[in-house]
Amino acid sequence: MAQIYKKDVDVSSYTKETLHDFYRTMIKIRKFDQHLIRLMQEGKVSGFYHSGIGSEGLSAGSIRNVLRDEDYIFYNHRGCNQKIAKGVPLSKLYGDFLGTTEGTTRGLGAGIVHSADVSRGVLGQAGTIGSQFNLAVGTAYSAKIQGTDRVTLCYFGDGAASREPLHGSLNWAGVYKLPVIYICENNEYAISCHHTETHSVKEHIADWAGGYGIANYVVDGNDTLLVNEVVKEAVERAKKGEGPTFIEAQTFRHRGHYEGDPYDYVPAEVLQDWKENRDPVKNFKKQLMENGICSEGEFADIDHAVEAEILEAIEVAEKAPLPDPKRIYEGLFS
Amino acid sequence: MRKINMRQAIIEALSEEMERDPKTVLFGEDVGKFGGVFGATKGLHDKFGERVFDTPIAETTIVGAAVGMALTGLRPIPELQFGDFVGIAFDEVYNKLGKWRWMHGGTMDMPVTLRLPIGIAGGSGPEHSQSPQALFMHGPGLHIVVPSTPYDAKGLLKTAIRNNDAVLFFEHKVLYDMKGEVPEEEYLIPLGKADVKREGSDVTILATALQVHTALKAAKTLAENGVEAEVVDLRSLAPLDKETILTSVRKTGRVVIVHEEPKTGGSGAEIAAQISEEAMFDLQAPIKRIGSPDVPIAQSIYLEQFYRPSEEQIVTTVNELMEY
Repeated sequence: MAQIYKKDVDVSSYTKETLHDFYRTMIKIRKFDQHLIRLMQEGKVSGFYHSGIGSEGLSAGSIRNVLRDEDYIFYNHRGCNQKIAKGVPLSKLYGDFLGTTEGTTRGLGAGIVHSADVSRGVLGQAGTIGSQFNLAVGTAYSAKIQGTDRVTLCYFGDGAASREPLHGSLNWAGVYKLPVIYICENNEYAISCHHTETHSVKEHIADWAGGYGIANYVVDGNDTLLVNEVVKEAVERAKKGEGPTFIEAQTFRHRGHYEGDPYDYVPAEVLQDWKENRDPVKNFKKQLMENGICSEGEFADIDHAVEAEILEAIEVAEKAPLPDPKRIYEGLFS
Repeated sequence: MRKINMRQAIIEALSEEMERDPKTVLFGEDVGKFGGVFGATKGLHDKFGERVFDTPIAETTIVGAAVGMALTGLRPIPELQFGDFVGIAFDEVYNKLGKWRWMHGGTMDMPVTLRLPIGIAGGSGPEHSQSPQALFMHGPGLHIVVPSTPYDAKGLLKTAIRNNDAVLFFEHKVLYDMKGEVPEEEYLIPLGKADVKREGSDVTILATALQVHTALKAAKTLAENGVEAEVVDLRSLAPLDKETILTSVRKTGRVVIVHEEPKTGGSGAEIAAQISEEAMFDLQAPIKRIGSPDVPIAQSIYLEQFYRPSEEQIVTTVNELMEY
């Protein structure tokens, strides 16, 4: 059975700078998301968007203060969260949504999937959900055989956990003791299906990793510092050559699977509870206030600075030109 | 010049390229200490140690991991024990290997050489005898190489490994034992270039893999009756060497395309379409295709021979074309 990760995290073991950085990252993710939804409502961004509101603590906690640029991530279907936490410039992400040449793909129109920033270890994502599992063992194998201490983080949702490649991937990671960390963002619903409806093991997805002899934990995904602690331990394990770790982080999405999803399959009171009592941003803010790390004024300063940064990023992305039609013929081969 | 078989030529190519570049890694089912079920990786594990490793039976993971390795600085050479198994890894080949680079803006390299044994070879049955290469002519971003001789196999494989793009390298099982001249000194053959294996003026026979040899035998028989066939070994299906194909077609005015793939939707269908688009008025007769029947390949050794294009079929078809 998966271990429920518990730890009395001493806030004072973190520097004020680091704590502010967590908060700034979470606010950046939330505001990025809200502004993107606005742009969609204004008709400037087409296609599907999978909002990451509700799991900012998980993304910030698993990346900030623990990963370096050279560590690899494969983000998931709510992956703007992770891309922002890994430091991909916001104008580049907006550029991908707006389809302008400012985007990481220089106008191909990547959205949540297909943005990439190799310089920051952001290696992309597949539209065929869950196919990053096998790529992640490849990058982890690469680090091992090249003798680097680079760690690969593979993000996925409870829905993607059903994909067959997860099991091939876990077996490889276990066999070759690879420096890969699986982060299952369990927000309970794969579009409309609750994970207990589609998974044979109902209790914890992390139990599956136990079957492959892989260290596994269940953690409150909305507790930023707790997530940070468990990932730090996993990274240490990976760097010491002790192999993979599987972390099931429990969270919830505040919005539907995609914008436009009526989201009526979730009981209203359940959603309300997550929004009111388990909002990662609200709770982290409270934690910092209670520990005297941050004042209302300082929060307001951060919020304003992030808001300005986002508006500027949108302007840069919007001002960039659309690609030349010839763009589609570039980059197929080296 | 010395003569070696295609198995030895492939081992030499792999060995030389692995020696040349420490970033190369070779892996697949039983490719390590066993040396591969067709012996095409024999001795490489002893020579290169952990850079040649056995994997679990997991084709999806083999190809997916190769993609991940390629993105992060390695030059992986995965093997699928039988080309038929590519169906298990279809998403990884079709959507990842060929498209990852493009769909992420063209900023990453994909130096993967995926080796896939193909073809009918002694009662292997419907899931171990197929030639699925045409499936991937439809998928952008993939080079498709199909050698027919030890010389070509070595030169093309070395180029494929050095290439920074994804290459699907199809090897016909019957050819592993076929000997041919291979120089001791190093050489490379560019991808995407067909080879005229026999010159002729009356008809063009386009073929790949084992069928190149069947076509050459047929050409010899035809020549005895005064018909000179030009045999073009396509060597690459993607990119397709249209220039060589059209030059030959314009010279002879008659075309037969021969392959062991089912006729419907086989590589010949695409090639015939391209010829008719560009050289219709140079033709003196309809384009003919000889492929396998559109049914699964029987396990029976007696029956399976009827799936493989024969010398007689080629001769008969050419003679029909000569009547126009």
